[in-house]
Amino acid sequence: MTSKNNSSNGSAPEGKPIVQELSSHEMAAQAVPTEIRLAHSREVLTVSFQSGDVFELSAEYLRVFSPSAEVQGHSAAERKLQFGKKMVLITEIEPVGNYAIKIMFSDGHKTGIYSWVYLYRLGAEHGELWPEYLAELEEAGKSR
Amino acid sequence: MAGLTKEKIIDALKTIEFKEGINIVDQGLVSEVVIANGKVYFALDASNDDPTKFEPLCREAEKVVGALDGVTSVGVTVTAERSADSGGARGQNGASAGGAPRGDGGPQAGSSAGPNEGPKAGAQKIEGVKHVIAVASGKGGVGKSTTSVNLAMALKAEGLKVGILDADVYGPSMPRLLGIADEPTVGPNNEILPLEAYGVKVMSMGFMVAEGTAVVWRGPMVMSALSQMISKVAWAPLDVLVIDLPPGTGDVQLTIAQQTPLTGAVIVSTPQDLALIDARKGINMFGQVNIPILGLIENMSYFLCPSCGDRSDIFGHGGAREEAKKIGAEFLGEVPLHLDIRATSDAGRPIVASAPESAEAKAYIDIAKNVLAQMEKVEQDAGFAGPNIVIE
Repeated sequence: MTSKNNSSNGSAPEGKPIVQELSSHEMAAQAVPTEIRLAHSREVLTVSFQSGDVFELSAEYLRVFSPSAEVQGHSAAERKLQFGKKMVLITEIEPVGNYAIKIMFSDGHKTGIYSWVYLYRLGAEHGELWPEYLAELEEAGKSR
Repeated sequence: MAGLTKEKIIDALKTIEFKEGINIVDQGLVSEVVIANGKVYFALDASNDDPTKFEPLCREAEKVVGALDGVTSVGVTVTAERSADSGGARGQNGASAGGAPRGDGGPQAGSSAGPNEGPKAGAQKIEGVKHVIAVASGKGGVGKSTTSVNLAMALKAEGLKVGILDADVYGPSMPRLLGIADEPTVGPNNEILPLEAYGVKVMSMGFMVAEGTAVVWRGPMVMSALSQMISKVAWAPLDVLVIDLPPGTGDVQLTIAQQTPLTGAVIVSTPQDLALIDARKGINMFGQVNIPILGLIENMSYFLCPSCGDRSDIFGHGGAREEAKKIGAEFLGEVPLHLDIRATSDAGRPIVASAPESAEAKAYIDIAKNVLAQMEKVEQDAGFAGPNIVIE
């Protein structure tokens, strides 16, 4: 899981945990992917953006950072730590309007709507989000 | 490998006991089985139990399935949430090779090339409808429906085939604005045939319920009614479908944004600050769902006294123009507050259709021309086209 062509846009996350935040028009317009490719293995989703950024997002990463209320709750305090998703796969992708995709996972989770902006953030901020997740797991005594 | 089926895996899993006499499959714990190149993945649902107790079950399941012919690896996940329709092993969403998803047509981009592109469409293209535009306002009472009708009539006057969908399920106004009191009929293929007024196709919840009747519905019913009015109505062929949205930024707006391939949205506001604040919210909402703003229309822009010809800026003037400038959107035009517009609207004879030579009708026609220009611009903007979704 690497960002092949990561520009410097990936600023550090300010508010945690990341929930689907409203973005400015400019950001929304920029962050429209040109292609979303689900690998044959069903383990990796490659999202290419107009900006030239290409992010390879693993099914596990997408799953544990699902923007669904089932995961994020309705406030930071309600967020549920996801664990044991190492082997999860993406089973299906569905476009939602002009702005997002819905991702269905092999563990039955299918309520996450990933907007372009959110996918971009997951890609650009992987370097911060993933280690944080691992640290949280460790602290909670859970495993991937 | 060829002999590896979901049934075989399920059968193997049935040998694992969950508790006395009940195996994990019959208990409904196995949620999905996915087979990809000899790799098998499935999940055990622990929502009703302590997930840590599932560890031994997982190991056992791995062992049993791993022993099957053709299985190269097994991945078992424990999930602690129940999907609404999980009820035992189904796993019809198999990720087997070349599993071309169902559905007709891809996402909005529609430029699919590969054989496996075009998953189940979210923003489903409406068959035979070239463009869909939404007319919205943040706040009620700014004349959005009157504007929608006259905009539709003006587009018709420009030579286009036009339809109007009244998406205000709770407060439909098209029957009154167009003077239609009929019920739509059902066609030979079970499709709903829209009514027609002044050469424009119309569909409204108001055709289904008597005027004055309250539609007392919860969100999901509203959404399914809307979906039907979009996809089950024989709209084709149309150049433009104008959707008159209810005021605000709620369920209906979101449903339309998710289910229809909108070319863009037109925002109607009075020049009043209060209305503009809400208009801004509407604009913001469309921004969030990536729907381009075609521009702003200032309604009730000024009042020309019919007896003395004096002009009064009742709600202030130019507010929408300034707002458009501020957010970088197009200003599409202004419509005066005029008795004839109000009277023709209430009489079910939209002014553009009943008095096309009037100054008021001309204002709408100018707006329609601007809307068309903006639609063209938006569609040329490659940035708007959605991504190609490729399933390998």
